[in-house]
Amino acid sequence: MSACASSPTSGGGASGSLPSLEALRDRLLEAVPGAQIQIQPNPAVPEQSSLVVDPAHAVAVARYLRDAEDLRLDYCSNVTGVDWLDAFTEETVTRTRVVEGREVTVEETIRHRRPGYLEVVYHLYSMSLRHGPVILRQRTRNRVDDTRVASLTPVWRSAEFQEREVYDLFGVQFEGHPDLRRILMWDEFADHPMRKDYVEPDDYEYEPTPNAEILPKARRHYPLEGTA
Amino acid sequence: MDPGLQNELSKRGIFTTTWQELLRFGYNWGRKNSLWPLNFGLACCAIEMIAASMARFDIARFGAEVFRPSPRQADLMIVAGTVTKKMAPLVVRLYNQMPEPKYVIAMGACAISGGPFKQGYNVLKGIDRFLPVDVHIPGCPPRPEALLHGLITLQKLIEAQEIHGPNKPRHLQETAPNEYPIPRYGRFDLDPPKNPEVWPGRPLPRGENK
Amino acid sequence: MQEHPYLFLAVLAAAGVAFCVGPLALARLWTMLFSPARPGPVKNATYECGLEPQSDPWRRFHAGYYVYAIIFLVFDVEAVFLLPFAVAFGGLSVGAFLAMMGFLLLLVEGLVWAWRKGVLQWR
Repeated sequence: MSACASSPTSGGGASGSLPSLEALRDRLLEAVPGAQIQIQPNPAVPEQSSLVVDPAHAVAVARYLRDAEDLRLDYCSNVTGVDWLDAFTEETVTRTRVVEGREVTVEETIRHRRPGYLEVVYHLYSMSLRHGPVILRQRTRNRVDDTRVASLTPVWRSAEFQEREVYDLFGVQFEGHPDLRRILMWDEFADHPMRKDYVEPDDYEYEPTPNAEILPKARRHYPLEGTA
Repeated sequence: MDPGLQNELSKRGIFTTTWQELLRFGYNWGRKNSLWPLNFGLACCAIEMIAASMARFDIARFGAEVFRPSPRQADLMIVAGTVTKKMAPLVVRLYNQMPEPKYVIAMGACAISGGPFKQGYNVLKGIDRFLPVDVHIPGCPPRPEALLHGLITLQKLIEAQEIHGPNKPRHLQETAPNEYPIPRYGRFDLDPPKNPEVWPGRPLPRGENK
Repeated sequence: MQEHPYLFLAVLAAAGVAFCVGPLALARLWTMLFSPARPGPVKNATYECGLEPQSDPWRRFHAGYYVYAIIFLVFDVEAVFLLPFAVAFGGLSVGAFLAMMGFLLLLVEGLVWAWRKGVLQWR
């Protein structure tokens, strides 16, 4: 734990054999020319900061991480998805305006919209050198029509089913995946249930539960006098 | 026979019966003591079902130890576990392939109502949306004793069945359905999401509860 | 009246037929009365563990399936011999060891032959 606390942006693992995330990023930028790699800091207790890679160079970066002598991240233990909705940040600006011939100082609130995206997170470990994890992220351009990232299945075979799961539940299109089909839901299913704006089928005809979210749904099926 | 006379005779140690009554008793007695369950489990409740069939709880005491691997030979379907929407058509098809007379035990909270997963997108909120369930066993998962209790409850139900008249069971009625419609995979949910003949969606008696 | 010398044969034949047909007829009668057949398209469909049946149950299997099964059976039987061999290994004479090795060699030869023939390749 103390080793982690001393280097907040190390890979987050307990092993000291991994280079720090900054050093790793610099090496990757050198090894894969043209790649855009940022560090996504994680200030939470586990301090598992991660590398955000652009999908165009993700396979090359992954190959380097797997094959480099001192990294040998040969085990992709976990692939998961994250759905980031459109984010709005509010900024308060003080401006001077002319209102009815007088100069008035007005505080205005400007809303910035950052378009949402889907994110795929890979947790990489090394079985041979016993270190890890290094966390790799890819982001799609948006979450509506351009949801492509690069598949890392050619690099780590263990990512195949997990990428299929992310495709199934989040709708991320993995380019280069050998067999991109739904894995949990049936093939005819048209939605992606783990997205934040997913609306589940309303089959709450019989819900005696006092759950605050469920009860209104059940009441829609049973409008009672005085409660509707 | 006059029930008063029958009662009077029974007090004097003479038991009377009719052929029909004797036939009904024998028929139901034979069926209730050899319920062969279908050998299938869906989730953790199946572990309790397996435990109930093993030596410690010994479901063989009640004649239900012959877990059949084929629906053609089974009388009883113990829906033991979470029925996902992807699995529901398979369960209904298995039920349809069982010969009459057949019974269904919904074992555990998931099979009854979806249980802890009922707000999930992929879990059927109770198998009685598609199948006529005879006995519900609550619990998460129910103990093997609870399964045995459910089995005994089912045996009592079978024991009380008529074989003539309007109240005779489904498998003796000419017009009763012999197959239940199998839901298909739809774009967002099962199609149809419930069988209205089995699951009428009765209004909650909420007004009376207040 | 002198009874026919072969009458007992006819009696035995009749009794034999009755012994076979009687229970079957009773079962048939019972079925008609108490468990009438309710066939249907789904009920009569092929049992495939609840999945939708893909084809007729009488379809032909690939010939490779049987060769595969026979090879499996050979090694299944081999395991039956290997287990006591391993248990008794400490007290075995050299002759018994060599005999077992010869047995194993025969089987391995068969496997190599099948391998070379491409039997293990599923097409």
